[in-house]
Amino acid sequence: MRGTWRRRISAAAGLVALLLCGAELRGQNAVANSAGKIVTDETGRRVAVPADVKRIVTLAPDLTETIYALGLEERLVGNTEVCDTPPAAKTKPHVGTPISPNLEAIVALHPDFVLATTSINREETVDTLRRLGIAVYTSDPHTVRNMLDSIARIAVLTGAGERGAEMVAQLRGRLEALHARLTDLPLVHVLFVVWEDPLITVGQNTFVADALRWAGAESIIVSKQNWPRVGLEEVMRLQPEYIVLTSAHMKAEGNESTELQKRPGWRELRAVELGHVAVISEGVDRPAPGLIDAIEELARVLHPNAFNENGEQEKLKLENGARMPGATVGVKELCPCAL
Amino acid sequence: MRPLTPRRIMAICGLLFAVLFVVVVIALRTGAYPISLRDIVTTLFREALGRRDDIPLEFWQVVFGLRLPRIALGIMVGAALATSGAGFQALLRNPLAEPYVLGVSSGAALGAMLSLMVAPHIVGVIQLGAFVGAAATTAAVYFLGRRGGQLDSATLLLAGIISASFLSAAIMFLGTTMSGRDQRGMAFWLMGDLATPPSFHPGWLFVVLLVTIGSIYTTSSDLNLILTGEQEARHLGVNVNRVKLVVYLAASLLTGLAVSVGGAIGYVGLLVPHAMRMMFGTDYRLLIPTSAIGGAIIIVVADTLARTVVAPTELPVGAMTALAGAPVFIYLMRRRVR
Repeated sequence: MRGTWRRRISAAAGLVALLLCGAELRGQNAVANSAGKIVTDETGRRVAVPADVKRIVTLAPDLTETIYALGLEERLVGNTEVCDTPPAAKTKPHVGTPISPNLEAIVALHPDFVLATTSINREETVDTLRRLGIAVYTSDPHTVRNMLDSIARIAVLTGAGERGAEMVAQLRGRLEALHARLTDLPLVHVLFVVWEDPLITVGQNTFVADALRWAGAESIIVSKQNWPRVGLEEVMRLQPEYIVLTSAHMKAEGNESTELQKRPGWRELRAVELGHVAVISEGVDRPAPGLIDAIEELARVLHPNAFNENGEQEKLKLENGARMPGATVGVKELCPCAL
Repeated sequence: MRPLTPRRIMAICGLLFAVLFVVVVIALRTGAYPISLRDIVTTLFREALGRRDDIPLEFWQVVFGLRLPRIALGIMVGAALATSGAGFQALLRNPLAEPYVLGVSSGAALGAMLSLMVAPHIVGVIQLGAFVGAAATTAAVYFLGRRGGQLDSATLLLAGIISASFLSAAIMFLGTTMSGRDQRGMAFWLMGDLATPPSFHPGWLFVVLLVTIGSIYTTSSDLNLILTGEQEARHLGVNVNRVKLVVYLAASLLTGLAVSVGGAIGYVGLLVPHAMRMMFGTDYRLLIPTSAIGGAIIIVVADTLARTVVAPTELPVGAMTALAGAPVFIYLMRRRVR
């Protein structure tokens, strides 16, 4: 009796193992079946991108913004709950959050090209989608230049190469102009606030840190971690010249500078006392075309003198006029003392 | 009480397998992608008959790519955790013993993380690290939990809680040295995540689990005797030390494997063996197989709920089991005190 039971169990085990084998093999075939151009993405994975991308799903707000900036919104069939730039992106079907998207919801949208990023997506999500035979391109922006290259590459893959090249060239031009303007000025030491409580700032290896450098600033915190948590005491010791916040932190309509002046711990900081608080658009958190706007806006707050010379203002207005559609507005509110 | 015959064991296990089958069918049917039961059945049949070209690609992706691997992983993790819980309860002679409560899951998690940092490219290194971590924590908790040569119930649980918090702190410390991307993955895995299948073939996991559960099962008659008292068992000819060693290694291996693929999912090892004891009695010959199947049922149910209650966002499956398990833990604790 016991013998037959054991035999039955081992038979069942064999059956399940076989089923699992089958599942594994099918996944690999599905990947091989979808032909197209084979490219290597920014994380070193090989991706079979269809020759004619028709249905795009983006898994991060910056990628959504890029797709809109490339004029591909018609082909965007889904994005995440947090994709809010441009506002039209909110009306697209959502597949959950970037960190934990619903994979079935993605499959249900029949995408032929999924865009992910290392900055907020999980590797596991990408791997699982790839096993299903879905083409996933992962961007890995660590610097502003990286990001521009990434945009150009995504543009080529989605068939918007010309528009992408034009846009990237223009954004590069603006960066170069900014660089020329700020090149002789000393870097302003800033505290970039990703999150206020607990206080989280940026590490050296993030595109935000690079964006700060382009804007003529430098983060006071040196960390290998991407989003390090720091104590106010450390900030007190390092005494930043400016506090940089993003508009996402603006809970009320009030002035963030006076708001900080009321807070214990913060109000003792020299920068807060002087009102050296810059609130810039969320664009700076996102490696998308809007980042360049945010950099320019921040540069203007931190180095007002560089922009006050004769003729310079006019030049800047012209540049701003040439902005591509869909870009975020820059500074939403500035401290009066900075202007 | 009715005598425990092989026939009775088979009947009860058959019944539980039937429940598991129903639960699996429901889990296969449930999800964000709308697919009818009929389509699922035809998809399964076509796959079984080798007519995969007739299956619409998306049905295949949803059924074989997403839902089935997740269910299979849930079955394996649930069976492993519930059996190791039953094993720990016998080994430590404490009804509240459970891998998560004892800190063994945290030990496995820390071991997995360390091994991943040392040798990330060797297949199975995570499992090995998790096993070593689980075994080391079990040994530490066992020795910390003794008082005057005797295992003391309250001291044991305290030792477990303290080990768990110490190990969690160590995990957090290690986490700060990781890149943002690895940190995100780690946080998800620690809360219990079945959406990510292991990097190696799941068939291997299944075979190892079956052998390990089988090895605990071979000790079940002896465990029955040991539970009445170690001295008495010795007098009846049981090699107590050998039995304890087998259960200790097997339960640690089961916890290590479960944690390495599914993260720290708590309270399954507590919830399931107790439910099975209430329904089918305390005989370990019946308790081990019923706990294994019961654990599979509970995890499949919990994971199906975790991916549907707040859809399209997913909850970690560990949150679901803790929600159900913590009250049961308190109930069992209060009952013992009275």
